Amino acid sequence: MSMAWSTMLLKMGEGMLHTCAIFALTVLFSLPLGIIVMLLRRSRFKPVQWITKIYIAIMRGTPLMLQLLAWYFGPYYLFGWSIRGYRFTAIIIGFTMNYAAYFAEIYRGGIEAIPNGQYEAAHVLGYSKVQTFFKIILPQLVKTILPSVTNEVITLVKDTSLAFALAYNEMFAIAKQIAAKETSFLPFVVAAVFYFIANYVVAFVMERIEKKFDYYK
Amino acid sequence: MKKLLCMLLALTMLFALCACGGKTETKGDPAADSVDADAVDADYVFLEEELGVETYAIGFRLGDEELADQVSGAIKALVVDGTFEKIASKPEYADIKDFLCLKPEDFADETLPERGSGDSSFTFKQGYDQDYPPYAYMLDDGTYGGFDIDVCKAVCEYLGWGYEGVPFNWDFKDQELNAKSCDCIWSGMTKEGREDKYTWGITYSNNTQGILVAADSDIETLADLAGKVVGVQIGTSAAEMLEGDQKALADTFGELKTYETYNIAFNDLKAGAIDAIAIDMTTGAYLVSTAS
Repeated sequence: MSMAWSTMLLKMGEGMLHTCAIFALTVLFSLPLGIIVMLLRRSRFKPVQWITKIYIAIMRGTPLMLQLLAWYFGPYYLFGWSIRGYRFTAIIIGFTMNYAAYFAEIYRGGIEAIPNGQYEAAHVLGYSKVQTFFKIILPQLVKTILPSVTNEVITLVKDTSLAFALAYNEMFAIAKQIAAKETSFLPFVVAAVFYFIANYVVAFVMERIEKKFDYYK
Repeated sequence: MKKLLCMLLALTMLFALCACGGKTETKGDPAADSVDADAVDADYVFLEEELGVETYAIGFRLGDEELADQVSGAIKALVVDGTFEKIASKPEYADIKDFLCLKPEDFADETLPERGSGDSSFTFKQGYDQDYPPYAYMLDDGTYGGFDIDVCKAVCEYLGWGYEGVPFNWDFKDQELNAKSCDCIWSGMTKEGREDKYTWGITYSNNTQGILVAADSDIETLADLAGKVVGVQIGTSAAEMLEGDQKALADTFGELKTYETYNIAFNDLKAGAIDAIAIDMTTGAYLVSTAS
């Protein structure tokens, strides 16, 4: 092994920052976008519902790697636009659009799990629709969906490695380069530890949030 | 307490993994009872019989003749002034210099571009596969280097151009080139079979494709490969050769395994899971040189 440990950890740490950038921006954009998609999916106007259904079907039914390629190369092949400097944006768009679809379905599951009786009871008690949502539905919704959201977020940490398809230097891409250079598996072991620590932090934070919402007990 | 326990578990996992890694590295040498790390170099050899020769050249977008000519001219100038030879002789590039096909005397009569004759406002973007040592890879200090990158930088310096490296995924090299995120594909790319796909710059290497086996294996000729498991990296010239000119040979193999990178294939060879690797000799020499 001729590359110094410190260099290897430094390079992979740098890659980890890139990984975190993908992760943070995707979570930031896809969680709210998921709400919009969920609302459109539950729209009573049928065409909107169909379009949203098709969108979700495509996002869930095709590999994320292919979607990333489509987002990145699409503008050039479809419109002939220059894609210089667009790499990172394409990655964020790709991840956000994909994860929003999953989050939308998780939200929908949460909402549909709440029995109709509660809406009726709220109505009888004189709650308005907005009040019903914010005071009765939402507090229960958040509780129900949190474990599924945690699942999805942890998957996202590991999915960031798919950005290698667009030659973005996230942590796993760096690990692969060092492995090729050293003809060694050690960088992959380091990568595993990096991912494990990152996911442990995510799980820890999510557990804390779940505890916060641990009312009605 | 819980945190401590988790950290302990994580550490145990790490050590377990490390231990596994260690085992795979030595398992491939059944003959060597006590494995001497220094002796590993000699444990992998190329068969004397070769698969064939292919040439490496630089691919430009179709129609970019002017750019291709400029770069080729600058390379010839670097061959004449000795820079090219100096780069090729770096010890970390293993056997590269043995396969280069550019000699100063070939260009003695040609008019070559003057130093600094390029447009200084132009930045040349070299597209390369970042996982392909010794042509383009990550160096000890974490920056990108390799034979092709060194030569390209020298070309840009000679012509007075700016240089920008565009590392990409080899599977999508054509899309990157067409979409203009780089100006050329320059990392040990084989010309054969791709003649019409690019405007080609100068051919700089006659690379021999061979079969790498463990020194103690009973495989000595190409015919011995019958029924054996052979590994190859996807999209490489060796892989294309086994699907083209050497298809008849490939059909005798027990199995032809395609890998994402030669690194994984080489580890499989070390672990004894496959019997041989079809690979170009310069990349193979690099792998063997790092296996310790």
